[in-house]
Amino acid sequence: MAVVLLPGLLATEAGGQQRFELDAATLLDALRALPVAALVLDERGEVRPLVHVYVDGERARDLAAALAPGARVRIVAAIAGG
Amino acid sequence: MGVQLLVGTRKGLFIIRGDDERRSFEVEGPFLKGWTINHAVSDPRDGALYACSNNWVYGGTVHRSDDGGATWERSEGLGLPEESELKLASTWHLEPGHASQPGTLWLGGEPAVLFRSDDSGATWKVNEAVLEHETRDRWEPGAGGLITHSITLDREDAKRLWIGISAAGVFRTTDGGASWEPANQGTEACFLPEDRFPAVGQCVHKVLSHPGRPGRLWQQNHCGVYRSDDSGESWERLDRNGLPSGFGFGLALDPSDPDTAFVIPEESAENRVTCDARIGIYRTTDAGASWKLIVAQEPAWAAVLREGMGFDDEAVYAGTQSGFLYALRDGQVVEAARHLPPILSVEAATL
Repeated sequence: MAVVLLPGLLATEAGGQQRFELDAATLLDALRALPVAALVLDERGEVRPLVHVYVDGERARDLAAALAPGARVRIVAAIAGG
Repeated sequence: MGVQLLVGTRKGLFIIRGDDERRSFEVEGPFLKGWTINHAVSDPRDGALYACSNNWVYGGTVHRSDDGGATWERSEGLGLPEESELKLASTWHLEPGHASQPGTLWLGGEPAVLFRSDDSGATWKVNEAVLEHETRDRWEPGAGGLITHSITLDREDAKRLWIGISAAGVFRTTDGGASWEPANQGTEACFLPEDRFPAVGQCVHKVLSHPGRPGRLWQQNHCGVYRSDDSGESWERLDRNGLPSGFGFGLALDPSDPDTAFVIPEESAENRVTCDARIGIYRTTDAGASWKLIVAQEPAWAAVLREGMGFDDEAVYAGTQSGFLYALRDGQVVEAARHLPPILSVEAATL
């Protein structure tokens, strides 16, 4: 079981839920299971360029990596905009 | 009857309600905080609200509300097929479909794509004839990107509609979107060094068909204001008879009079600000033979974007990038809102 934490706008889009506990073998599985998967991943299933994903505090770039039980996945929006 | 204005801004959607006289307005919002609303519209068939919502991190999508903006649902599955080697960059304009096709919607976006939904936006299907158009390699992006920004219907013929793509031009279908033909004869591509009247490549800024006269189209282009009386087969240029400039973005019509139209010219492509240090709304009542100035505000150095003008049976509305919204009725201008975020779109629906 992994825990996925969403930033504010994604939590709003997820009906107000900020924390998800998911059964997921890989990071990609976890992201795909989110109700906001289409905002995190593009139509090719790739993480959008300004979305950063951290697993247990480390920037994760390999979506196929296995998720350890109890892994804490945090989605972060890159600092951008105006 | 009053009016409901859906005002899309760089920072959310505002709903602004005006009274019967279009003199008093109340601002509600913002809705969809965190989203840039390129366009929002109320579906006249069922009252649903739709927003082309975009975020620089999370991409472009569509939100729908069935309760006046209290709650929203987001479309799933918006994207481009892998074989196209393209990805959806943003959503720009949503047009409710023909009255005979409840649930049908059209959606324009970047890069020069068109989608259709037949289930009120729950799912979308890309229009392959636009995606694979034989002239696509001659389309060039404008300042806003390579975008499908205008979608306008023939009220009598559900299979006939027009789209505007910057900078590709106007395209027409007569078979419900199965095929599209360029409709740019007579419109100039004044920015080209030679061959300024190509089949495609024109920088249309906004195209509207008149709801009461099938076949009459109005167009604000990078290179002039135009009218067509033959469904876009040919265009007549109208901006050398009272307009200070042919350059501009916004365009509004009068549903009850096909000879009336409104534009807000800007100084030039190089200096995109309203002409003569004022916000001037120019109105023609003779199909573009002459134009008269109505000053909304001066001094002012403003800009009204391509979706920045709306209209209903009573009035015309214009929202500026500086966050001011004006209503024009019977030649009189009222400030309807001020200090909003930069206004990207205005759509009016009579209540």
